[in-house]
Amino acid sequence: MNSLIRSYGKGLTGIFVTLTAFWLLLLIILPQAFMLDQSLWSIDKDDQLGMKIDRAYSDLGLLEYDAQQATGDTNPAVQEKIDTLKEEIATLEAQETDPPREYGLQNYTRMSSLHFSIFVKSIFYALAVTVLAFAVCYPVAFTIAKLATPQRAALLMLGLIIPYAINELLRVYAWLMILDYQGVINSLLAWMGVVSFADKTWIPFLEYPGSVFVALIYAYVLFMIFPIYNTVETLDKNQLEAAQDLGGSVFLTHWRVVLPHAKPGIAVGCIMTFMLSVGSYSVPQIMTRGKSGDWFSQLIYRQFFETQNWNVGAAYAFSLVLVCLAFILIMMKVFKVGIRDISK
Amino acid sequence: MRGKDVRLEDVVMRFGSFTAVQQTNLTINAGEFFSILGPSGCGKTTILRMVSGFIDPSEGRVLIGGEQMNGIGPAKRPTALIFQNLALFPLMSNWENVAFGLEARGVAKAKRRDRAYELMALVGLQGHEEKTPNELSGGQKQRVAIARALAVEPAVLLLDEPLSALDLKLRQYMRAELKEIQRKTGVTFIFITHDQGEALTMSDRIAVMKAGVVEQVDTVDNLYAHPRTPFVATFVGENNVLEGKISHIQDGFAIVETQQGAIRGINQDKATIGDKAMVFVRPERTKLLNGAALDNTFEVDFERRDLEGAFVNLFFKSDTGSIIVHEANLGQHKELEGRAKIGFNASDAIVMRSGELSDE
Repeated sequence: MNSLIRSYGKGLTGIFVTLTAFWLLLLIILPQAFMLDQSLWSIDKDDQLGMKIDRAYSDLGLLEYDAQQATGDTNPAVQEKIDTLKEEIATLEAQETDPPREYGLQNYTRMSSLHFSIFVKSIFYALAVTVLAFAVCYPVAFTIAKLATPQRAALLMLGLIIPYAINELLRVYAWLMILDYQGVINSLLAWMGVVSFADKTWIPFLEYPGSVFVALIYAYVLFMIFPIYNTVETLDKNQLEAAQDLGGSVFLTHWRVVLPHAKPGIAVGCIMTFMLSVGSYSVPQIMTRGKSGDWFSQLIYRQFFETQNWNVGAAYAFSLVLVCLAFILIMMKVFKVGIRDISK
Repeated sequence: MRGKDVRLEDVVMRFGSFTAVQQTNLTINAGEFFSILGPSGCGKTTILRMVSGFIDPSEGRVLIGGEQMNGIGPAKRPTALIFQNLALFPLMSNWENVAFGLEARGVAKAKRRDRAYELMALVGLQGHEEKTPNELSGGQKQRVAIARALAVEPAVLLLDEPLSALDLKLRQYMRAELKEIQRKTGVTFIFITHDQGEALTMSDRIAVMKAGVVEQVDTVDNLYAHPRTPFVATFVGENNVLEGKISHIQDGFAIVETQQGAIRGINQDKATIGDKAMVFVRPERTKLLNGAALDNTFEVDFERRDLEGAFVNLFFKSDTGSIIVHEANLGQHKELEGRAKIGFNASDAIVMRSGELSDE
């Protein structure tokens, strides 16, 4: 802080600190805290409440009509009924505006077994996407960083980046067109005579979870390649030659020299890919078109916008945040890298 | 460990339109400490990489121990390379670094660990086995690199200026150390350097290179006493140079008409009358005249006296350049000034046809 003031003066330092604090507080801490708080309230909403109130009002109308028509001694009895009904309506309306709520972990613990299985499946799928993305990206990153000539490396890099100038949705739709029943691949197969559109013998790629994997890997490939590329790039080329000179096989060289060096990049790439794919909504939504089961992210969406149960939605979303945090910690432990290495 | 001989036969190396190494024939004997000496960019590292197998020559053959090596990769050659920056693996412990070559050969962990400890003892690094390279000093890292290279029992050890990053004292110490390791192991050492002092102190023989051409291959003594080209004469050790035209030739000697008068020297190139020529004479063979009769004498202006401990360098200015006289420091010449007469014997001077000098 003092060195900041010395280099930039009080005014600028004040602006820096305020902006950072603003960022931390308003954009990170506050929404998460709000989400956490929401997720801890469980509201016992009665779905029939609206109907009950409506019915009570119509009963009330009838009774009031009766009361007007009636004469003599029937009057007090009707009046009594009207009073009871009015009381009832008041309680019901109070319930509607301020339903009975409970503070606690119910939203987390009461996840249905179906939702829980989707939750586990989504984590498993995201892990699979991460592993596959690593398997695809590591060779590419290594090739660009160490094997390609500078010009070719620049071209490869450009080739990787250009698709990202296009909106993510469009990129996913592109894969949809490729993998669709009458998409590019099936058309090619039909042209080769392997499948026939008329007999509907096309290969239903979109019904396999693999299609979501492919689209997810494609969508997040850069997040895996760049961190790995950045660390591999800093590896001294002489170390590769030294390993080669000492008789090291390709596998041994990578296992003992390149991978240990690239650990921080691999950890960052895996963390980013995992978090993005476990929380991805558009890719599974578009690719499966509801034809195969929901991903957890779609479930969260439904809680918020279809069931209108924000508290459960918040609990689900926060569960996902916890999973991501756990994943980060595990990656840091497994790769023996600290926050400092990751932030490099 | 036994050294093997290395032969380059009509080797040429081109990178695109650039010829890094012109047609070269070179034989390095088994068990020899051989240096390739030259300024940066002269092609010495290219030769090293051809021997180690990272590149294959555009033309010609590389043979190690009589076996043709073209097309065989560095992993399969009986060579080990010590890199200029050492290229130790920073994330492995020192013993794992040393044992990497054995790991590559499938030696069991306990066995390669023992061998690594042995080798580290050989290079005087007991107690540092479990540390990482970055916990060691420059000289110690050097020795880890040597042990790592020796672990694969190479017949030829290639060293790419490995001492250039060390400070002077350590460098001098490591020279002796390297020489000792070479003697103990009997491995052929090929040492790349731009430092002529380093090459002279360690080598049995030296090849001097310039711009892709091997100018001279000779023993250390011959190289210093009988340089073959003006470049070698000025790159290896220091030489005073006098330029002129040959006016007489007689009994293997030539007389060159220079601006300092007629100078007589050995006619090494068998040059003929009228040729443009250079006379080279070592500073330690150039004398201040104090009554001694010398074959060639001339007058120059005294410039300065540099003390180098045991030696003293006297700098003189002539019409064409500077002349250095190198003497043992016996406390003399403290009051030297003005014009001085210097000279040297004809048998200490070499006359060559004019050529390119080293600019270092």
